[in-house]
Amino acid sequence: MLKSLPKNKRFRRLITSSTVLIFIISLISCAQKRDNSRIIVSSKGKIESIDPAQANKLLAIQLISSLGDTLYEINSKGVLEPKLAKTLPKVSKNGLTLLIPLREDVLFHDGTRFDAYAMAFSLNRFIEIGTLNYVISDRIKSIETPEKFLLRINLRRPSSSIKGLLTSINLTPVSPTSYSENHKTFKNNTFIGTGPYKLTSFTPEGLSLDPFENYWDKKVANQGIDYINYKTSLSLFSAIKSGQVDVLLSNSIEDGHRLALNKLSQRGVLNEGIGPAMQIGYIALRSNNLPLSNKTLRKAISYSINRNLITEKVSYGLREPLRSIVPPILKEEQISPWPEYNPKYAKELFKQSNYCEDERLSIPITFRSNVPADKLLALTWQEQVKRDLSECLILELNGVESTTIYKRLAEGAFEAVILGWTGDYPDPEAYLSPLLECSKIDGEVCKEGEAVYGGTFWATPEIQSALKKGESLTGTERTKILKKVEILAAEGSAIIPIWLVKPRVWTQADFNYPEFDGSGRLLLEKLKRNLNE
Amino acid sequence: MNRSRSLTKYAASRLASVPIMLWLISTMVFLLLRIAPGDPVDAILGNRADEIAREAMRERLGLNQPLFNQYINFLNDLIHGNLGTALNTQEPVSQIISRSLPASIELGFFALIIASIIGFSIGFTGTAKPESNADFAGRLYGIGTYALPPFWAAMLFQLFFSVILGWLPIGGRLPAGSLIPSGSGFLVIDSIKNGDLNLLQMSIRHLLLPATTLGILLSGIFSRSLKINLTKTLKMDHIEAAKSRGLKDSQILLFHALPNAMLPVLTITGLTIASLIGGALLIEITFSWPGLALKLQEAISQRDYPIVQGIVVVISMLVVSIGVLVDLLIAIIDPRVSY
Repeated sequence: MLKSLPKNKRFRRLITSSTVLIFIISLISCAQKRDNSRIIVSSKGKIESIDPAQANKLLAIQLISSLGDTLYEINSKGVLEPKLAKTLPKVSKNGLTLLIPLREDVLFHDGTRFDAYAMAFSLNRFIEIGTLNYVISDRIKSIETPEKFLLRINLRRPSSSIKGLLTSINLTPVSPTSYSENHKTFKNNTFIGTGPYKLTSFTPEGLSLDPFENYWDKKVANQGIDYINYKTSLSLFSAIKSGQVDVLLSNSIEDGHRLALNKLSQRGVLNEGIGPAMQIGYIALRSNNLPLSNKTLRKAISYSINRNLITEKVSYGLREPLRSIVPPILKEEQISPWPEYNPKYAKELFKQSNYCEDERLSIPITFRSNVPADKLLALTWQEQVKRDLSECLILELNGVESTTIYKRLAEGAFEAVILGWTGDYPDPEAYLSPLLECSKIDGEVCKEGEAVYGGTFWATPEIQSALKKGESLTGTERTKILKKVEILAAEGSAIIPIWLVKPRVWTQADFNYPEFDGSGRLLLEKLKRNLNE
Repeated sequence: MNRSRSLTKYAASRLASVPIMLWLISTMVFLLLRIAPGDPVDAILGNRADEIAREAMRERLGLNQPLFNQYINFLNDLIHGNLGTALNTQEPVSQIISRSLPASIELGFFALIIASIIGFSIGFTGTAKPESNADFAGRLYGIGTYALPPFWAAMLFQLFFSVILGWLPIGGRLPAGSLIPSGSGFLVIDSIKNGDLNLLQMSIRHLLLPATTLGILLSGIFSRSLKINLTKTLKMDHIEAAKSRGLKDSQILLFHALPNAMLPVLTITGLTIASLIGGALLIEITFSWPGLALKLQEAISQRDYPIVQGIVVVISMLVVSIGVLVDLLIAIIDPRVSY
């Protein structure tokens, strides 16, 4: 065919083909040689700020936990352990003062020494400007430094959850020297803490962490971490599958991709690490208006949900069905007070409220349109209801962007809405209070408080007094009272827990097995490439 | 003389409309953002923050002021070239835009070059050999690429070149751990200027896939518009006259038909450039390209009013300026245009 062309055309074609070939070969051969000593970690989501006072997203919290230490930490068995503190806090008899002796061998990344003043500075900075400062400002009255390495925290009221709160990475100490000009402003792109890594570069698209050579505890197992974010679940999946990244954090990855990665790990192509579940998915029913002000109907809805089917269809079994609003790792006694799926009993309850005969209850279910799993949950539940309870209940689906949902929850805009929650710190109280607390109650309707912001508008004086009492108790007494709160909440059925989401991480097969701490955070410092493989 | 005076008058009148259009656009954006449901305080604090914390945050961000005051402050700042500070990070919006805009321009520029090369070659070949196999293939290509959903095409390219072949990176502007060097923000230009071949190679490798995808998607419209206009021009009297003078076909096509056919194409190119600055969103998302469109999408979801307002104002300014520039160019090139 080429011979049939004139000589000059043949020559031109030859030149063009050669150029294209050379270009392709140069592209392949010029592929960047990866520096295997460093680990590339990727996830979905941008880090806007690395300031612990500003960070409130899971990803930022994960990364800050490698850059800073906390006074205490929850180990993988769920037990509180001192980290920057020398011992567990000594609580005064009236429960209003905590004395915390601090380690004396800790240095900040800028070379200055960590002491009680630095800790007090960081706590006060968080109380002053922290975006989540409301979590502690109503508990902590003042912070004192009676000795160089002794911290005294004065509380407004006895608080058994304060120990859990002190494991929050938002309260990690920052160097007063480096933050002297930022005690009232955020420092978004630098971080000077005490953690095993120090921050060497930061952009919203990615950051680099180098091992901190003067770290007081065990040295890190790798040469450093480079973090990169991708915007889509497919990009993340492709990046780990093609080996362009070493570690993939599962935040916001779609369930289909989770399943595919899970299968790859079963075949030994990747390693999969699973952390303790801290995120719950639930349905909030608005109980301040008809028809769902009728408790029998709420209970009927509670009985109508087939959690096993939903988790199987939506997440292929990777999410666990949940009949409690506190993650199991935070509970000493495992209870599941919410009822199991029972369509017969649900029908009976609907009938008691005069439905099923001539009339069907129609409920609009709102889901976060930007959360694929929520949409699938709504669709599956709708189909399941059509199959099991079509003569009693109709579910109408309504997708709304999450920012709009959060804004309008307190306005009572949604009769039933699918939401998710991760506690701000690892303690049952971080789940029960935000979902159930109410400061002004009228009958069983909450007029002011968390139950309003959560969109349920449901509260009982009994739950409120139990929550308050639980704050001043410890040990089995506290466990008992928290159990009571959950049983009462299940009886009220304004919140219906659906599933539990465990954090997952995937690494290339030549890495060691990824480990998590008790708060569900991946321990980046323990990741290591097995070079002999 | 008369023509140049009226051209100046025309240019002045077009330029005078720019501030009015910008004011209208920025006012609309300001109002629409406030009408839209959602609250930046929720985006920052989450919906669980208590009312005291929310009020304090609202006050800190200046959102507790009456809407009219907020609007006057916004306009006052805008006139003085101050786009405000981001609600979430308290970073100056101008800084955020100056970081994202070069990425978008770089992507758009290379996409446009690719689109022009592919589109014009296909369009030109189709016109030079009408009803041939090449013409048929060109037509199919034009319609196909125009109809192809950008996100789907981007995903396919990503899967093929990054995952299956492993030739090109999945996304981003540079590999993980690489820092964008200080400079203009245009990585290709900066690396050439600094003689940094490694950076040049890395940036081109990262640019290639998104720019080619976008270029291919845009090339369809280029090839179709060139083909249609060129075919139309070839039927005109002056072409017949040229043929009768015995000029070669290639001479007629290149020097007599093409310049006339390019005028509508120039308008389309202008519109494409304008839309590329803010419109390559799906490409930027798929390839995690940290451009202006992506930043705008993130800011909208966080209800970060100053960033949204700032980006829309900058995009509007560019769109309006390019529109005016194209109008003026056409007025200069084409003597038939009256103004």
